[in-house]
Amino acid sequence: MSVAEKKARVIQPDSLIGKRIPKMDAPEKASGKTRYIHDINLSGQLHGKILRSERIHALIKSIDTSAAKALPGVHVVITAADVPDQRPIGVARDHFPLKVGRVRSERDEIAAVAAETEEIAEAALKLIKVVYEDLPVISNPEDAIKPGAALIHPEPHGADGSHEHLKQGTTIAHKGKPDNVAMTFDYAHGDVVRGEAESDVVLEDTFKLHYVTHCCMGVSGMIAEFDASGNLLMYSNTQVPFLHKREFAEYLNMDPARIRIIQPPIGGGFGSKLDIYPFEVICLYLARAAKRPVKMLFTREEEFLASPTRQPVLLTLRSGCKKDGTLTFRQVHTLHDNGAYTSWGATTPFVMMQTFSSLYRVPHCDYHTAAVYTNNPYAGSFRGYGNLQATFAIEQHMDMLAEKIGMDPLAFRLKNAQDAGETTGQGMSFKSCGFKDCLTTAATRSDYSRKVQENVANRDKPGNIKRGVGMASMLHVGGGAKIYPSDGCGTILKMDDFANVTLITGASEIGQGSETVLSQLVCEELGLPMSAITVVNNDTAITPWDVGVHASRTTFIAGNSAIGAAKKAKTKILAVAAKKYDCAESDLDLRGGFVIKAGSGEVVVELSKLLRNLHFQDKAELVMTTFYYEPPSVHQDKGFKGDVSAAYAWGTQVVEVEVDTDTGTVRMTKVTGAHDVGRVLNRLGIEGQIEGGVVMGQGYALTEDLMIENGVMKNPNFRDYKLVTAPEIPEMDISFIESMDGEGPQGAKGVGEAPSICIAAATANAIANATGVRMFELPFTPERVYRTLHGQTPKLYWKPWKAE
Amino acid sequence: MNELKHYLAPTSLDQAVECLKDGDVTILAGGTDLTPQSQAGRVKIKHTLMNIRHIPQLSGITLEGKEIRIGTLATITEIMAHPLVRQHLPVLVDACNHFASDQIRNAATLGGNICNASPAGDTLIPLLVLDASVELASMPEAKLYRHSMPLSTFFVGPGKTRRSLCELVTCVRIPLPAEGHVARFHKLGTRPALDISTISIGIAGTLKEGILSNVRVAFGAVAPTPVRASQTEKALEGQRLDEATIEKAAAVARDEVKPIDDVRASAWYRKEMIHNITKRILSHVAQA
Repeated sequence: MSVAEKKARVIQPDSLIGKRIPKMDAPEKASGKTRYIHDINLSGQLHGKILRSERIHALIKSIDTSAAKALPGVHVVITAADVPDQRPIGVARDHFPLKVGRVRSERDEIAAVAAETEEIAEAALKLIKVVYEDLPVISNPEDAIKPGAALIHPEPHGADGSHEHLKQGTTIAHKGKPDNVAMTFDYAHGDVVRGEAESDVVLEDTFKLHYVTHCCMGVSGMIAEFDASGNLLMYSNTQVPFLHKREFAEYLNMDPARIRIIQPPIGGGFGSKLDIYPFEVICLYLARAAKRPVKMLFTREEEFLASPTRQPVLLTLRSGCKKDGTLTFRQVHTLHDNGAYTSWGATTPFVMMQTFSSLYRVPHCDYHTAAVYTNNPYAGSFRGYGNLQATFAIEQHMDMLAEKIGMDPLAFRLKNAQDAGETTGQGMSFKSCGFKDCLTTAATRSDYSRKVQENVANRDKPGNIKRGVGMASMLHVGGGAKIYPSDGCGTILKMDDFANVTLITGASEIGQGSETVLSQLVCEELGLPMSAITVVNNDTAITPWDVGVHASRTTFIAGNSAIGAAKKAKTKILAVAAKKYDCAESDLDLRGGFVIKAGSGEVVVELSKLLRNLHFQDKAELVMTTFYYEPPSVHQDKGFKGDVSAAYAWGTQVVEVEVDTDTGTVRMTKVTGAHDVGRVLNRLGIEGQIEGGVVMGQGYALTEDLMIENGVMKNPNFRDYKLVTAPEIPEMDISFIESMDGEGPQGAKGVGEAPSICIAAATANAIANATGVRMFELPFTPERVYRTLHGQTPKLYWKPWKAE
Repeated sequence: MNELKHYLAPTSLDQAVECLKDGDVTILAGGTDLTPQSQAGRVKIKHTLMNIRHIPQLSGITLEGKEIRIGTLATITEIMAHPLVRQHLPVLVDACNHFASDQIRNAATLGGNICNASPAGDTLIPLLVLDASVELASMPEAKLYRHSMPLSTFFVGPGKTRRSLCELVTCVRIPLPAEGHVARFHKLGTRPALDISTISIGIAGTLKEGILSNVRVAFGAVAPTPVRASQTEKALEGQRLDEATIEKAAAVARDEVKPIDDVRASAWYRKEMIHNITKRILSHVAQA
């Protein structure tokens, strides 16, 4: 090549943003090569199994483990008595991993075994003899708050009845509770009395939300090993490794610095792995006692019994509007079934109150939650975090209010929808806001308003199939959520001599596609192809701190962090190139693996060559940068007010159904969604995330139901717990509203939780449109719908109640 | 834990029934019921596990005189695809089309579905209305002995049949339907695939000039076994399929069944569905 030709080489501008980029882990997963925790075995490893309670609520009178200990192949058998330093775990520290004196729910852990094989461990469990004394079971939260109700966490008393009350400041697990109220939340802005006085129409209805669970395809598991110096290594599928490092240290009374967590590829998270569960701590106890690595994996039945659930809620909503369609107030009381112990489910009001206070303009809002102990399973965090429940009530009331004042439901929503620049009563500030675009796009693309009219007109015509269309919108955090002291994420970026990048990020990949989108953002900055990047994201000894995968935050927070590190690398590279080629840094850019002239795209030097020159010289240097991104959000004040997220995501979904009035079967035929995602980064990834979320919402609305009767789970299996299957998945038409958020990475906002939130609410509205009948309780199984259509469902009413 | 000590895989029917003589044998065909049930502890695998899949006499779908013979090892997938079944027994194909999922249909056998004797077994309802009989083989002395019994008398309770422990179901025989034969099947569940019936209904008969005769009605998931509905059959036999007959038959059907409440539905809903779906099927037949 002649010098002239070489000089003429020009790299055309290109961008990775908005492209359809396959997930980086897809080939491994599709070919079955991914090594999940199930596939990892350490030499010398033992297998741990847990003995769970045979009773729902009972005193443990005695436990005899002698026969289990004597079984050949058994190394360790432990009960609470063998772990005197046991500390209570969980959000309220009300939960001992191995139960002390009392079981409170079906999943309760009595004893654990570590043995040579799983079969031996199973056989040993059968040899453990437990004597119980039954206590009254509370399985209805309304019973739990009745005066004189049996206490789930009573203050401890000695054998002679004397009080064993421990000193102030101890946890519930130690000092007990005088009632069954686990947590309360009270929020208000404005004056609901005034709001109601200004209303032309007021509605009050009770809504009932049921138990569902995450159903991760990969069951829960953990491998724990203490090395010869007492350092702990865990293979764990946690979504929050850095928070858990600290928390595990507390539970084991050890230095957090000596704990390392490696996260193998995960078979599903969806929020289920945000808390520490007894099995994890028990696995550590076993490893500590056995002085061998211990692996513990759930069976599918255990996964149902001992995983967290979505928070079940009983909710009474009172809301009003004026004749002109202006919303006036919302007053909300909820009763959360806390289950026997407290996990993140109890804190879903953090999100629920945001929806009640700020989804549409609400001048006056009053919100109260009591989460009460029962002997039921306990709820954790689950994609949407209370927002599905809140939206279910709000969006039904939006349709009902519109009907009362004779206003088109879309026009009613548009009248109350916010614009960019508004700040809500709770202090959430909408810097970018595509809410109205979401509403109009979803309505137009689905032909919503015409169908609403047409379906009403067709309702009384002959035939058992009635068509319905329903709409719901959602508001969710889209730029992290400042709950912990930091909502940040760290990045270490390393470039090698061949211009390949290693992106070391604190952000965990849980199947949502974060490593792909983070790589894309880095490659976009550095002008590199996707093939030039390797991601390291699963080892607390290597990766910088991150608060964890939750709150739809990873693309936004870890994305900004990755961009920050990439920008620093770019600055350094361009400075070196400018010096070497005697030009201004601003005249240069990175593109296609080359340093180029910014204006013309002409190649200046191959990037890898420049990096080698930098490295192999007298004053050798490498390009390695770090960046920590902390979003400009604030913590809420004591009244739960404050701009808690750096950005907010919006979405509207229109659901179309066919209701068979002969059977009550609801077929979801189409979902038209419009989501304000800020900007589409990986189109393939975001489509997949939306479609998956819609199906999760569909299961919540129609088929999934974890049935609990007197504290007993009736269907801990996939035969009777009905996930949506392929033939039921509706046609989908998804649009993206690109509001280009000023703080978001390349303008993007978080969307991970968004697509599940509206489906149940929109389905309820669609059924009402089809049949004229309102459904206030989930799920819409054929029998429940049929009963309601035939007037066999008494009107639900829960009298608002507030804990003192 | 199971007490499994021996695994046998006989290659002839004689060998198989010989092995069954001592009775302490669990029979494995497709394994789609046996595996989950034994893992869940609902079925205990006995001392001997006998895999019958290598016995050629138990396979195949053939026309024998005026009967279609379906070997006990025929898989649901094979049955659905077989020209004889497709031509003469479309109602069985329809039921197979609602059976679990493709993966399970590839492994599950007809004999297994029958011997599992679930009140909700998907193939049992069409087989009942098609007057199917089961053939059983045993070796009481040194010689192979076969006998048949109508499927309608075969089921005793959930998971229980009149097959004795030393017998093997070898095949199902179904008489070729006569001219004018109509048969319909409907399965109702929470979802269209991979589901256990809330209820299922089969109705068959000969329709000539609007009159239904030789009526067979069977219901699934409303009793401890799949059942024939004799009162409903009586209400339809020899009747013209007009609106009054259909409504009456549907009402008789609703009163005839005695279902229970379980995780899938309440007894009330099941009775309602027996009424509504019976009515729907009969209306479709009348209009066809």
